[in-house]
Amino acid sequence: MRDVGVLGGVLVWLAPALAAQAGRISYEAFTLPNGLHVLYSEDHSAPIVSVDVWYNTGSRNERPGRSGFAHLFEHMMFEGSAHVKKGEHFQLISRAGGSENGSTAEDRTNYYETIPSNRLNLALWLEADRMRSLAITDENFHNQRETVKEERRLRVDNQPYAPAFIDGMTWPFDSATCFAYAHTVIGSIDDLNAGQLSDVQAFFDTYYAPNNATLVVVGDFRPLELRRFVNQYFSEIPRHPDPPPVSCASRVGRGPMRRELTDAHANLPAVMRIYRVPPHADPDTPALELLNVILGEGESSRLNVDLVRREKAALGTQVAMNPIDSRRGPGVLLALAIANQGVDPLKLDTLVAAQLDSLRAGGVTGEELTKAKNTFRSGFIHGRETTLGKAEELQHYDMFHASPAEINTDLERFLAVTADDIRRVAGKYLDPANALVIIVKPAASGVTQ
Amino acid sequence: MRRAALALLAVVPALRLSAQGFPTEPPKPTRLAPVRFPPFKEATLPNGLALVVIEHHEQPVVSVSLAFRAGAIYDPAGKEGLSELTAELLSKGTATRTAEQIASTIEGVGGHLSASSADDFLTISVDALSDQLELVFDLLGDVTLHSTFPTSELELARTRSLSALALQLSQPGAVAQRFFASEIYGRNPYGRSPTRESYRAVTAEDVAQFARERLRPAGALLVVAGDVTDAQVRDLVAKAFAGWSGAPPSGPALPAPITRLAPEILLVHRPGSAQANIVAGNPTILPTDPVYYAGRVASQVLGGGADSRLFLILREQKSWTYGAYASLRRHRGLGYWQATAEVRTNVTDSALVELLHQIDRIRTVVIPDSELTAAKGFLVGSFPLTIETPSQIASQVANAKLLGLGDDYLRLYRERLSAVSGLQARAAAARLFRRSALTIVVVGDGARLYDRLKAIGPVRIVDVDGHPLTPSGLNPPAAPVALDLAQFAARLDSARVLVQGNPVGFTVSEVRRPGDSLVYTERSNLGNGAFQQQTTLVLDPADGSVRQVDQVTTQQGQRAETHLTYAAGRAKGSSSAPQQDGSVKRFDVDTALPPGTIDENAVPFVVPALPLAAGKTFTMTFFTPSENAIKVLTFKVGSPESVSVPAGTFQAFRIDATGSRVPFTMYVTSDAPRRVLKTEFAGQPFVVELVK
Repeated sequence: MRDVGVLGGVLVWLAPALAAQAGRISYEAFTLPNGLHVLYSEDHSAPIVSVDVWYNTGSRNERPGRSGFAHLFEHMMFEGSAHVKKGEHFQLISRAGGSENGSTAEDRTNYYETIPSNRLNLALWLEADRMRSLAITDENFHNQRETVKEERRLRVDNQPYAPAFIDGMTWPFDSATCFAYAHTVIGSIDDLNAGQLSDVQAFFDTYYAPNNATLVVVGDFRPLELRRFVNQYFSEIPRHPDPPPVSCASRVGRGPMRRELTDAHANLPAVMRIYRVPPHADPDTPALELLNVILGEGESSRLNVDLVRREKAALGTQVAMNPIDSRRGPGVLLALAIANQGVDPLKLDTLVAAQLDSLRAGGVTGEELTKAKNTFRSGFIHGRETTLGKAEELQHYDMFHASPAEINTDLERFLAVTADDIRRVAGKYLDPANALVIIVKPAASGVTQ
Repeated sequence: MRRAALALLAVVPALRLSAQGFPTEPPKPTRLAPVRFPPFKEATLPNGLALVVIEHHEQPVVSVSLAFRAGAIYDPAGKEGLSELTAELLSKGTATRTAEQIASTIEGVGGHLSASSADDFLTISVDALSDQLELVFDLLGDVTLHSTFPTSELELARTRSLSALALQLSQPGAVAQRFFASEIYGRNPYGRSPTRESYRAVTAEDVAQFARERLRPAGALLVVAGDVTDAQVRDLVAKAFAGWSGAPPSGPALPAPITRLAPEILLVHRPGSAQANIVAGNPTILPTDPVYYAGRVASQVLGGGADSRLFLILREQKSWTYGAYASLRRHRGLGYWQATAEVRTNVTDSALVELLHQIDRIRTVVIPDSELTAAKGFLVGSFPLTIETPSQIASQVANAKLLGLGDDYLRLYRERLSAVSGLQARAAAARLFRRSALTIVVVGDGARLYDRLKAIGPVRIVDVDGHPLTPSGLNPPAAPVALDLAQFAARLDSARVLVQGNPVGFTVSEVRRPGDSLVYTERSNLGNGAFQQQTTLVLDPADGSVRQVDQVTTQQGQRAETHLTYAAGRAKGSSSAPQQDGSVKRFDVDTALPPGTIDENAVPFVVPALPLAAGKTFTMTFFTPSENAIKVLTFKVGSPESVSVPAGTFQAFRIDATGSRVPFTMYVTSDAPRRVLKTEFAGQPFVVELVK
């Protein structure tokens, strides 16, 4: 505590003019007659371009008994289409010097390429070919279903704490009223096994339509040329009927929940606290995001300073708000602590709870708030350094905000948050009646071998 | 005009339509704009510090790196790991700031500070928003000039490095790389790796002295990239490093690496290994050698990625491996190249022969145009993707400067790669991939690999610690190791189980001699009953061989039982094992066993009864009922040392066991009746200690 004064002096200094201008992205938008929404932003600082397609579908669109389909589908998208053989997508991009990938979240599925700018046409053509003519065959389906099951084993079932983390995120939601968020993105092995090729075809027909997708292009290109490629490759793809709406009825604070789990891969116990939080567009979100930073980001965060350094009760701590991606529906805030050697997980949970309680009772200091704003501002700017980073930001604002124009005004909402706002949202969402507490105990196997 | 246009349309309707429709083939590249490497300013300051400033005003960010010739090759012999520990401690306390204050100061403004050590260089890096430039230089100057290297932080860093090393030594890929480096470089410092002993030998004074001597401005490189101006940076550098001067002592003379006259295979015996890890290669060239470009293209074709020969043949075509790659690596001194693959044990010889054939092929046959175009397409095309942000540009510039690659390296990099012809690539491969002097390291189960490998080339065999072995030392004994009958005396031992130093339960073991029989029992209880296990072994009093096993395990309320009899060379009965999902997997056992196979549950009984003597190695075959698997365990006996446990202080043999799921170390009293004092598990936080 010796030099708090000095440190505080440094921390309160924020340049408002810089803050307002930093990370500004100018963009244009148009929509094809078939409903494909296109956003683009020129950036000629390097001779490369990123093509980023978001389909407005994710695990939230799955129905009971068919969990994991959106993600299985993402795999199918790399298995070939009318003019692209299996494996050729990767090969064409790689030989052009590019990189590519895709990912599935609750609310969206994305596919992207970053490539030298003279191959913009290749990336757009590849995206168009799979949007119009994906190879939905029995062989690809069975093959990718096995790959996804292996991925679940590798990433979830075989990793310490992953089952608690992945499954735990869904427990605050009730299957009957909010199936959208009451099941995992990766899905269950049983549901994957139960899937039929016809389900895959139906999923494609409903969700992989131009009118259910947004194409974002950022980088070194000429807008006229981009429009010409987009028209040529995408305009003939037919519009599909609009997908059915997703409903989720969930409320904050429906009473505390508590679960205990045994984890065969964990050597040390852990505790996790999960709180229900509102949809991303809710006015409380900026204050919650800053609270999240103060609680658990960095070596100087509350959880690290208290649990790891002072009490030596935790090996490490972590916090996250909607760790996969933002949501248009209700989400979660998680705090995880892994216990040190021989520390009782119940004692650890008491320490975690004490930190959360002190936020509710005492709020945060001015220094903490400034640190959180600086951290957030820094992340905000670093996220816009690359063409792909900018493309993902445009997609984010297009999907989760009232208008993509908020890409240039959102930071102001964060910088306007006050200590009172944080105390208010802490009181509202960190309420014990809104908590799910998960205690993870290691299975003791291996000890005596 | 309108009429003319219509007429024109009528002439070429088909052409226009096909040009506007969806192309059925991938579109051709459009014109490639020239890639200009972003401009930068450079200077050498009066104290010898080289400064590079890259002004990049797109976003208000700044990235700073300060690199010293203070990497691992400057570690004194016997203190390998010194540079790594020095880097770790730089941000863990200065004359005016504690570790916690350093963290909160930089995080307070949303930035990061860290330091790391590689072979040639130790680098301190700071990232922040550019409005914090003053603070960045204040901190950078402070950790560079005024670090105090507190002993408590050294102990913390040492503990972390030692556990990371224990984990590394249990991973065959890491073991292969350690042996490969020492094989190709010999006594050259690029060949050394830290060991437990060398980490332990580092003192706080060593760290302070290393920093004092080597973190000097002459020969160091400071790169500042982002939304800054050259003048601003020079001003802050002058303030932060005022009065700083001096040069590091000249580096160690680098002895020439080993020159082989013929390919040689080093077989690292890792009993029970499920796979064989192959690494083949040799030292190559200095970083400035112009053959690099053609060599880079050749190694890309050979094994640069999923679109290259080794991957396509060894994985896609033959399904022998999950991945196979080749790469050309640069150092400030002599670099090296390597090809790697992890393959199933029983195809190791086929895979190695194929790998060697592919090396021969790229050295002798000109690469076909289609492959050459694909490889160059990747190498040339991907370069602009690596210079998008100021910190990426900074790392490219730093790499070129630190390796002394010359002023035009970055400017001409793509051009030089593009210009490589098939003939040049073949000539480079012939020169760099020294087929007749190749070093080949194979880490795997020597007993199953030796005969396969000796048909390919001369084989030397060592154990994982590097001690030489003979081919006859590889095979599990045909007959059981004769146990010392005098150790079969009745006894009762209580031990406690610690997880990272804290007691979590106990285990009680007992040898009984009811009548003329011999019974060993073990009872464990961990986590207040969360895990309980009771094992009863009926043994043959004449030789200690196991006749019957009964085991009941209760884990989180799930009960698993094993009941086996050993007779006529088979284990028969039933077993079960708790699974991670909380269920219990039950299965029947009827397995033929090699002669002398012992139930793995008998390890704590068998080890004290071995004819222990310092320097001896025992290899024995065990059967693990919970996995229905046969394993070969090797026990290496060290010299007696003094070991303290709650039961007292004793002289004990250290016995390192490998081949089990987790390697472990047992300490067994050297005086009879022998007792197990302590058991440690590699990379695991568990220790079992004798209480009474």
